[in-house]
Amino acid sequence: MTTRRELLQFAGGSAMGLLLTPAPWRLITDTALWSENWPGIPRPARGEIRAKFTHCGLCAAGCAVRARCVGEQPVSLSGVAGGLCPFGVAGHHLPYHPERLKQGNRKEAAEAVARAIAASGPERRVAVLDLQPGRTASWTYRRALAAIPHGVYIAPPEPACSLNFAAARMVLSLGAPLLDGFAQPARVFAARPNFRLIQAEAMESRTASAADEWLPVAPGTEAVLGRAAAGVLPVRQAAEMTGLPEGRIAGMIRALRENGPALIVAPQMTPEVLAWNIALGAWGKTVMPRREAPVPKTWSKAAPAVALETVKDGSIGALLIDESVGDGHLPWESIRPKLATDAVVVAFAWTRSGYARHATHVLPAAVYPEALGDVPPAVDGVNAEFRLTVPLIASPDGTIDPAEFVAALAGLDAKDALRERAAAIHATGRGKLCTYADGKVAAVKDLKPEDFWKALSTGAAWTGDAEESGRTPRIAATFAGPSSEHWPFRVAIETACAPALASPLIGKLTQESHLRLAANRAALHPREGFLDGTRAAIETPYGRRIFEVTVDVAVPPGVVLVAGGPEIADIVGADGCARVVRI
Amino acid sequence: MKRNILIVAGLAAGLGAGWAGFPRAIYNSRPQPVDFSHKIHIDKAGAKCEDCHAIREDGSFAGFPTVEQCGACHAAPMGTSAAEKKFIDAYVTPHKEPVWLAYARQPENVYFSHATHVKRAQLKCEVCHGNEGSADHPRPFEQDRVSGYSRDIWGGQGRPGMKMSDCVDCHRRSAVKNATAVGDLSCLDCHK
Amino acid sequence: MNKRYGIVIDIDRCTGCGACMLACAVENNVPPLPAANDRRGITWMRVSRIDNGEEYPERRSAFVPMMCQQCGVETPCAHVCPQQAVDVDPATGIVGQMPERCLGCRYCMAACPYHARYFNWWDPSWPAGMEKTLNPDVAPRMRGVVEKCNFCHGRWHRAKERAAAAGEKDIRPGDYLPACVEACPAGAIRFGDLNDPASEVSAARKEPGTFRLLEKLGTDTKVYYHSKRDWVRQIAFAPRPGKENVRG
Repeated sequence: MTTRRELLQFAGGSAMGLLLTPAPWRLITDTALWSENWPGIPRPARGEIRAKFTHCGLCAAGCAVRARCVGEQPVSLSGVAGGLCPFGVAGHHLPYHPERLKQGNRKEAAEAVARAIAASGPERRVAVLDLQPGRTASWTYRRALAAIPHGVYIAPPEPACSLNFAAARMVLSLGAPLLDGFAQPARVFAARPNFRLIQAEAMESRTASAADEWLPVAPGTEAVLGRAAAGVLPVRQAAEMTGLPEGRIAGMIRALRENGPALIVAPQMTPEVLAWNIALGAWGKTVMPRREAPVPKTWSKAAPAVALETVKDGSIGALLIDESVGDGHLPWESIRPKLATDAVVVAFAWTRSGYARHATHVLPAAVYPEALGDVPPAVDGVNAEFRLTVPLIASPDGTIDPAEFVAALAGLDAKDALRERAAAIHATGRGKLCTYADGKVAAVKDLKPEDFWKALSTGAAWTGDAEESGRTPRIAATFAGPSSEHWPFRVAIETACAPALASPLIGKLTQESHLRLAANRAALHPREGFLDGTRAAIETPYGRRIFEVTVDVAVPPGVVLVAGGPEIADIVGADGCARVVRI
Repeated sequence: MKRNILIVAGLAAGLGAGWAGFPRAIYNSRPQPVDFSHKIHIDKAGAKCEDCHAIREDGSFAGFPTVEQCGACHAAPMGTSAAEKKFIDAYVTPHKEPVWLAYARQPENVYFSHATHVKRAQLKCEVCHGNEGSADHPRPFEQDRVSGYSRDIWGGQGRPGMKMSDCVDCHRRSAVKNATAVGDLSCLDCHK
Repeated sequence: MNKRYGIVIDIDRCTGCGACMLACAVENNVPPLPAANDRRGITWMRVSRIDNGEEYPERRSAFVPMMCQQCGVETPCAHVCPQQAVDVDPATGIVGQMPERCLGCRYCMAACPYHARYFNWWDPSWPAGMEKTLNPDVAPRMRGVVEKCNFCHGRWHRAKERAAAAGEKDIRPGDYLPACVEACPAGAIRFGDLNDPASEVSAARKEPGTFRLLEKLGTDTKVYYHSKRDWVRQIAFAPRPGKENVRG
């Protein structure tokens, strides 16, 4: 019978023995090591470091991107010719965004649209709304709609001209976020030392704070200065409307006329803005025709682009919305009236926060670093360009290419549209190809067609030869008058190039540092009488949205500052008129 | 008397468990995925270490060769062993990467540059990794069950250890050619 | 000759876009989760907004990118650390933070006059799949340790490795650039060896209007700021200390 004492003696002996062995000391070390190599902390994958090149598909600027990859996986992005915007820097995170759409019923959507096409008529048409016009996919839509009976291609207006910052010596920006996402940051900053920038804006935006001069105009009156500069509005009237002293406006106009070449930039480069530039003698110098890369001759049968406003109410039986690339968005309330009852609405999106909320069918599209496509001509691209967004990683099963879907409806084979276009460009023998990997520039006529395509599809850029600007355009002067008194506020958007969904790291800018306003916040001057942290609704002709108020003396009275993105673009029209109501 | 015997018996049991039993228990032994013979490749194929374990142009160390590199010679069987056939069927043909178990794998926060030690300091591979060339079969990979570290980190059997103290010892010996003196090294030189 | 890496930031060029903050987080494996606020977030690089104190329309603002100022000999954080987890490298002048040694007392955070140190309140977490985008040159940290800018030391390692493989004695200056310097679209952040009279930072820091923050503390920092505007240069004396950004 072993007694407890005997057991304790044995145990005591073993304990002493064990202490003389490595066991307990090693277990202590191991526990410390285990606590330092916590199983939950991910280990970065290792592999060969490679560089891949593409163009960014998050907005119309299409900056050239160099991706640092571990094996095939991009782990960081940087600009080839300069910097990227914060969204572009973290673009490689988007495929893994938790709110990314992955599933959709293609068959169901295709059948619904086929039925709508069968039932279509002159009063019940089939439409594609292309929010990033100017791409090769846009040509596919237009060709398909020309083949589909009663097809119509709707797109927001493209810029009326292209801008040549390198040639400018005086730039008057009427509220355009020139230094914060308007064009390619790398190109603008490269040209920045050459021109004096006057920013006319109600709010001291980022561009205004870095400009050479800020003209604080009354909210919504930026266009007044453009008209005054063009000589179509008397200076005295402009001073009354903007609140600026007459002398200051006169001085600005004098500087534009004497220290040129001058350039007037507005957030939307409309025909009216082009007319002001022409009045300043800028045609062929700082404003040039918007040039597109050549297209194959077989693509001549293509539906023209139509503005949403010109579409008759209730006349669309099926609407396919391509919001898979870029940052374009039109308020839903401007689209809804155009739909017939029981219209089929198919949204091609990669997130639920855009038109997916209103569509009858949502189909997931590939997101920026996965999607093969091209970028539209840049607003600051003087010559024609052809630049592809090259897939850096494979898109998941289940994603759909919107252009192929629409082409299939028309019986068109558009799988090789980009390659066909590249062949057409090569056939012209004009232009140059710049490969980013080695920085070399080659003339197209010295390249074989296969090599040309191979370079483009691994991230190279084709630029057309410089061409004559041609005759100065004559623009009919029929433009909108002053806005209604009903809307005492103007909405200022802080972050122009905000994509539908951004990397969760963007929280560093909005939550962890307040560098940029968060999407659920609206900033107002204390004089407007709102309390910080309370809720307010912004009401516009297009809808109503509730925000949390941030009180900020930097926001002038009469302006409400919001972040940016499709949720705000859904209620803000081009004029930015709004009312702010306490909740 | 009995008391002493029990204590002595306990002592013996403890010593036995700690010295003989514990090492067996604490390590999880796994074989490599392929029964690879270094000896055959060095003797018959005349390969040197850097032929398969190369330092890339940008200075990074490639580690284990990829199945493409093996497949460059072994697309078809070059010998008669069953191990080679199994390797070709399971890995080369389906282009599948074998999951090799790295004896010398350091924890994530350690930065070691092969280029600096092999090219600049002219260290031979055997100095840290032992004579792998003479092995006909790969050693099993012994991994500490608690910390996850490879047993090789503690060295032994003719191989030096790879703990931080072992690296510091080598850098301390001023007789070692080209070694950066310990006093000139900063923490971030070896850690990331 | 030992290097002394430094940075010159031109506040007049900075537009406050935040690309440097994102590039820093991407390079250094800073996690997006758990979501934090301005008191608990990890922002090795942080851009603050400053203003001239006037009301509209005389109000003017500017943006100041702030990261570890890499104090020189009198390094407050190195002095107070009970674990010797802070190491000033004599070869580069970079103040290195060792998460391996850190026990999380946060004394260094209290000692830092520039609020440039950040604590891991939680274990890092990435959305499913996003851990594939981690940078292999930087080790992710676990909870309970402090971290801060180290001038992208992973890039310094890569540059040295390339030089070793090529048989060169020293790195090529263009090979080593911190992520924020590379990312800034406006070119507001410049980097180089302050001990090298030919580097652009050596020339830039001598330009009139260049200053360092809180020089009176004697920290001998290696980050210089530049502005032509008087009211901007006042921040060197921290005239209005308080919450960096007052937006809610």
